[in-house]
Amino acid sequence: MLERELTVSNRLGLHARAAARVVNLLSGFQSHATLECRGRSVNAKSIMGVMLLAAAQGTRVTLKLEGPDEAQAMAAAEALFANGFDEQP
Amino acid sequence: MNVGLLLVTHRGAASHYPPLLERLLGRVPLPLELFELDFDIDLDAVLPDASGALRRADQGQGVLILTDLYGASPSNLAARLTQLGTPARRVSGLNLPMLLRLCNYPELPLEELALTAVAGGKTGVVLDHA
Repeated sequence: MLERELTVSNRLGLHARAAARVVNLLSGFQSHATLECRGRSVNAKSIMGVMLLAAAQGTRVTLKLEGPDEAQAMAAAEALFANGFDEQP
Repeated sequence: MNVGLLLVTHRGAASHYPPLLERLLGRVPLPLELFELDFDIDLDAVLPDASGALRRADQGQGVLILTDLYGASPSNLAARLTQLGTPARRVSGLNLPMLLRLCNYPELPLEELALTAVAGGKTGVVLDHA
């Protein structure tokens, strides 16, 4: 199991398109993926789950990954978060 | 092949969804058809066109019909569409969370997809903060 704290860095936070990017990315991996924020844990492969976090810019979320490709999935997710979901900062 | 979606709503209550979903998701992973109804329309008169939309949405796995308001004419029309022979279920209370949730689980068979739609629609209604 891998666990990493990630920061939502883009201006709009984990809004619908950003959430869709996260879900699309993680859905390409086999590993089980959860995102945690403020005591709430959601399926990181579910758009509505990620939307319910309502994570604004600056929010720190914890991504937990478990499965055969967890390292690759984590690297990809870290890159996406670091890049602000490819949006303007 | 995935189940098809058919949105049956009042005029103007469905047509904004396809471009919105494409913008949010890049692509819509289920066949998606619309049928919007004008007010004071005779349901018998539009049933053939509506059944055409149903057939276009069906790729052999059946059709999940989503309608905006239970008990309204679009929903009543949708109920009749479920009786035409094409496997179909009707879920009322269409909203964006429902559609996003469906797009998240596009491979589910009709019965499970219908339950997913209901769950997604309800989950999306939140007072203040989730």
